Amino acid sequence: MTTGTTTMVASVPPRVATVRKFTRRQQQGRWLDWYAAGFGVLVACIYLGNFLVQPLRRLSSGARDLPVGQGETGLALVLAVGAGLLLLAQSLGPLTLSPADASWLLMSPLDRRGLLRRSLGALTAAAALAGALLGVLALAMAGPYITALTSARLGEWLLLAGVVGGALAIAAVDVLVLLQPHPHRTRTPARALLRVIALAALLVAVAGEHWMSLPRAAARALGPFSLAALQAATVVAACAAVAAALAAWARLRSFPADVLWADSAHAGRVRLAAAFLNVQLLGWIAEDNHWRRRVLVSRHWPERMPWPGRMPVAPASPAFILAWSDWRRLGRRPGTLLVLAASAVGPALVAGALTGTARGVANAVVLLFGGIAAASQGCAALRRDTNDVTLRRLLGAAPRPALAARAVLPALLAAGWLAVALGVLASTGVVSASGASGVPAVLLWVALGLASGPGLTASAMRLARTAPIDAAVLGGVDTGAGTMPTWLISRIFSVVLGLIGVFPLVAGVLSAFGGLHGAHARGGLVPHGLDGGTIVVQAVLSAALLSFYLLIASPPGSASASGQASRG
Amino acid sequence: MVGVSELVVDVNGLRVSYGSVVVLEDVSLAAARGEVVAVMGVNGAGKSTLLSCLAGLRRPNGGSIRVLGGPPRDTADYWRRVVLVADLPTWYPGLTVREHIELVRMTSAPADGWCLDPDELIDAFALTSRADAVPLTLSSGQRQRLSLACALARPSDLLLLDEPEQSLDAGFRKQLASLLRESYAPSGATVVMATHDLEFAEVAGARRILIEDGSATEATT
Repeated sequence: MTTGTTTMVASVPPRVATVRKFTRRQQQGRWLDWYAAGFGVLVACIYLGNFLVQPLRRLSSGARDLPVGQGETGLALVLAVGAGLLLLAQSLGPLTLSPADASWLLMSPLDRRGLLRRSLGALTAAAALAGALLGVLALAMAGPYITALTSARLGEWLLLAGVVGGALAIAAVDVLVLLQPHPHRTRTPARALLRVIALAALLVAVAGEHWMSLPRAAARALGPFSLAALQAATVVAACAAVAAALAAWARLRSFPADVLWADSAHAGRVRLAAAFLNVQLLGWIAEDNHWRRRVLVSRHWPERMPWPGRMPVAPASPAFILAWSDWRRLGRRPGTLLVLAASAVGPALVAGALTGTARGVANAVVLLFGGIAAASQGCAALRRDTNDVTLRRLLGAAPRPALAARAVLPALLAAGWLAVALGVLASTGVVSASGASGVPAVLLWVALGLASGPGLTASAMRLARTAPIDAAVLGGVDTGAGTMPTWLISRIFSVVLGLIGVFPLVAGVLSAFGGLHGAHARGGLVPHGLDGGTIVVQAVLSAALLSFYLLIASPPGSASASGQASRG
Repeated sequence: MVGVSELVVDVNGLRVSYGSVVVLEDVSLAAARGEVVAVMGVNGAGKSTLLSCLAGLRRPNGGSIRVLGGPPRDTADYWRRVVLVADLPTWYPGLTVREHIELVRMTSAPADGWCLDPDELIDAFALTSRADAVPLTLSSGQRQRLSLACALARPSDLLLLDEPEQSLDAGFRKQLASLLRESYAPSGATVVMATHDLEFAEVAGARRILIEDGSATEATT
């Protein structure tokens, strides 16, 4: 081993810019990376443009004969989206470095403010952009009800609305930055507050669809809103943004390394998982974060009973005991059930929100993905031990009965969520049913939801059993228009499986919306589409698909089940 | 007897808890300039927690900590004098082994004191054949060597090591222990390390502190 030397390493103080230049020297992006990023931005702009065109056109045309509920619903949704984005920002830090920067530059003699300056700048820019968009969108929602808003001064109104939105977003994000160094005291209350705001906004949006006094009051309140009031709001919002930004800037000098280190590592994992659409890893990370903060009381597992082999998935059989972990996990997270219940109003919101135009396809997509997401809440243990059969072997559960026992909870969750979602759709009159059977339409749609649950279970289980993506070892399939990664194909296949499983439901929803459009054209709502036969077909299809999946799926822990991309 | 002014680490009545779980209770510890101290104890005894407190990354619930004459401060000046090697770091995917070492030297310039230049470090930590490799391609043991090499690439007054022997082969453990005892500590710097390896601690010439049931006692055997 060498002896030490006394060395004068360099004669100038370290500068963050110099160090960053060094770390990026070897990481110059190739032209293809820039092309991909530019293309992504272009596509995002096109989509965003399409999204904004209709509300903006409505503003510029000076239309005043819109349904009274749209303004209130739209504003509430904008507020909910804003709160959701702040929740997302808070869950990612919001102020972070790249994990490598956090490892090597944070606990070093480098100036902390110099190190964090760029992160704060990027965060502020992102907040300003998102806030400005939400501000413009809010004006588009409220505009038709504001008497003083005329197309002559529309540009000024839009500019000020964007500035107010951007400034408020900057202020809110910078407040989160100021709270970040005290995670134990502030994170939970801030998260709870944002959740309450988002949930309340969603409830107001839904309530406005039927309790007309709410939107009428909102429309009355918006009526006398003037440009001068918006200018005053702009000044207040700008002052708040400047104050929060200066406070955050001042805090950078002594921003605590331990918080930044932990948040940067966490955000790095989430960004990586999101970049590869790695839903499994995102779920894994979220679950880790949830349980790490909690102290639990150990409870006994259900008593194991010597069930005969012909009843492999009966209650208290080894397979069911294995599946019990998901039931217990859900019992320990009642908030998940509440969120699921609240999210069931999503399809109703999509049906008439923002544009006031019923969109059957959008509704069917929300129902499909919502049902899969609900079923996935019962697949946590399946996701965890897909490649680890230790517990199953310890319990002596056979692989296929274990898989079957684990299908029960996701099937119930999906069925319950779809039943509530369709019940809300039917009770709000968005979808209707054939009156021939004499059964109330709401009950028919609820029954269809219950029958559809198992149809989505195979999709959720397949997604859960797909191992976290290792992009380094995965190849792709040449599609002619480029290489499509196998992990993406696997996920698309899982969703298609779900679509097949609930095809009668999707067809019923599309048919009902077709009827709705026709009804609007004729000035009334006509019963359309759904009857008892559809429900029976859906129930049979759901049972058949789930059974087929359970029969052909490779058992957990088998050689074919431990591949990277997909499980059969 | 070590004078108070010579103490690099001076901990008195330290108390740390995670919620209702008390990990450290009335822990006192002192380390002088040029001394190597090995903190030992069973898994979960609180060794890593103690190092986190010394690094200023965890605020204690009670007691006092003085490091280099004051409380841990999480400032540029503090991190110029203190180096922590705890969890394996995240590597820059586009930088080589040598460049990681050079990066550490760059962040602490200008620095006057004992350290090894990159060539010496690469040689001493047996990374010569992998000097131009990216760390992602190294074995876990080689990555641990690189972490330790980076820690010695810049001068410091206090080196905090959390289980440095992890993933290292027996031969290199002895080499590392010798380096700490014969080169680093004689330069006037102090080492406080959490370790399970009694032989490693002995070869490093460490004074051993045993943490048991939340309290620290000097190990005599």
